[in-house]
Amino acid sequence: MFSALVKKEFILVLRDKQALMALFVMPAIFILIMSVAMRDIFSQESIHFNTAIVDLDQSSISRTLTKDIRKNKSFHLVDQNEAEFIIHIPKGYGDEQNSVKNPKIEIQVKGSAKSDVIELFKAKLLKEVVDLKLGIITERLSEFSDEAAAAVGSVKLSTDALFDLRYNEKKEVPNATQQSVPTWIVFGMFFIVIPMSTIYINERKQHTLARLNSMNVSAFSITLSKVVPYLFIAQIQVWVMIAVGMFIVPLFHTPALEINGSVAGLTFLSFALSVAAVGLSSLIAVTAKSTEQATTIGGISNILLGSIGGVMVPKFFMPESMQTLANISPMSWGLDGFLDIFLKGGDFSMILNESCMLLLFGVILLILSMILLRRRLNRGI
Amino acid sequence: MLIKVSNVTKRYGDILALDGLSLEIKKGRIFGLLGVNGAGKSTLLSVLNGLTDIDEGSVEIFGLDLKKKIREIRNISSIVPQNLAFYEKLTVKENLEFFSNVQQASKENFAKAIEINDLSKLLNQEASTLSGGQKRRLNMAIGLLNDPKIIYFDEPTVGIDPKSRNDILDSIRSYKDLGITVVYTSHYMNEIEKICDDVAVIAKGKLIEQGTLKAILQSKSETLEKHFLALTSESQDV
Repeated sequence: MFSALVKKEFILVLRDKQALMALFVMPAIFILIMSVAMRDIFSQESIHFNTAIVDLDQSSISRTLTKDIRKNKSFHLVDQNEAEFIIHIPKGYGDEQNSVKNPKIEIQVKGSAKSDVIELFKAKLLKEVVDLKLGIITERLSEFSDEAAAAVGSVKLSTDALFDLRYNEKKEVPNATQQSVPTWIVFGMFFIVIPMSTIYINERKQHTLARLNSMNVSAFSITLSKVVPYLFIAQIQVWVMIAVGMFIVPLFHTPALEINGSVAGLTFLSFALSVAAVGLSSLIAVTAKSTEQATTIGGISNILLGSIGGVMVPKFFMPESMQTLANISPMSWGLDGFLDIFLKGGDFSMILNESCMLLLFGVILLILSMILLRRRLNRGI
Repeated sequence: MLIKVSNVTKRYGDILALDGLSLEIKKGRIFGLLGVNGAGKSTLLSVLNGLTDIDEGSVEIFGLDLKKKIREIRNISSIVPQNLAFYEKLTVKENLEFFSNVQQASKENFAKAIEINDLSKLLNQEASTLSGGQKRRLNMAIGLLNDPKIIYFDEPTVGIDPKSRNDILDSIRSYKDLGITVVYTSHYMNEIEKICDDVAVIAKGKLIEQGTLKAILQSKSETLEKHFLALTSESQDV
């Protein structure tokens, strides 16, 4: 009897093209788009500014400044039409170096440039300008005092020379793919609510559930028979999304996903996450009065849990209070677990906490939905 | 007596769906249950199949107490609901196989359900593509899979053309030949006149009249429809 129930559920889901789109195509496309779109934001490489220099002065000083800028790896010199920043060195810049009033260097910035990027650009350029000025001062001082000149000459403006950076903990910021894949696996999995509630509510409306009940099929068997196929589908979903991250995303010049941690841990975490997603979907499907209501409630709850749990905005971008709040969302537990595996090379023990919380969450909701279904069946609905 | 309903009361909140209803149904007969909308026909069928609990009274089927022996009673009875209670996305065969496997029904019953309801040419067709009459036949065939001793039909001819209706009525009549007791609810008096042996009229959850169709028609020397309208309007007046 149970195998017939499971088989029926499988056939119905596999024939629901919209459901398959929501479960497989939507998260795969999201992974692709978000990985490529956020590639630079999550990049750990030094920032580059596409820069052009217009030297109207053509003095030895302006040429030295141009040479220094060119040497600096932060500035990537390009043609003016490709440049985000164009440095205009005004006429007389070199002549006036020794006077009190210097003509200003003009920086022409692309309208779309973000203010923090502009500030960073200015800081990098300032370093080159100050270095140049210190060189001039050192040269002039050497005419009066070698000692003073040596003192000024010893001033280093390189941040590496001035600061020693130490992290409190191991630096663990994901790249765009490491962030996107778990995010959309978690979010996509909770969309199981769409096919599950559609089938559930149609069965209820058509009195098929009541008919099954009249055939001595219990609420327990009905609920469990719905859980099994969706758990299986969720596992396929996880590995399809991982495959997209590993093999499709790199085709778009974006880092490939690497599984640095335990595959067994990853499998267990995926299972636990799917129990949570199926539990929530089952409860929504049993309580909703119509498929429209179920998809609305399901969609809203997914977006809320996702925005709290770090799907919309990564947790490490959030202020501390929001990071604490994120911990109430099962999506956050799932995300943390996946990041433990993908990023930190976590083993089974590392994801045990998150997995147990997800399992507990899912099982409680499943029991609740089973009780509600039984009550409904007893009322003949 | 196959079914004995004694003083059954069922409430849905403030609504009294069955009001101390008592009736008896004999074995091997086609029993017509008549009543206007909201009279309590569907509630009574749900009660008889154990899908709805009763608040008061008792029901015995095959001498078994409904409350205590619900599983046994369900194994020998079947309900064909007014709704098309099957899966539109499955084919006719997949639907029949599913409901057959759920009840662990025999292959003989599977074949019998297809034959009686004339579904053999439709087996590989998706249920959603069937006509109204074909869907009704599939709905009925599912009810036959567990080889029931009693079948409850809840208005099985709603919304179908006259030809399909006649085919369905012929099928139901043939159930009697298989030794199955049929409890049949309908709005259509001519259907009741055509297939039923016994009739009960209920209104506002109460039994108004019960007897053989022949006796009722003879005693009143009028059509069943006129008699039914007279009875139900009297009931409304009270």
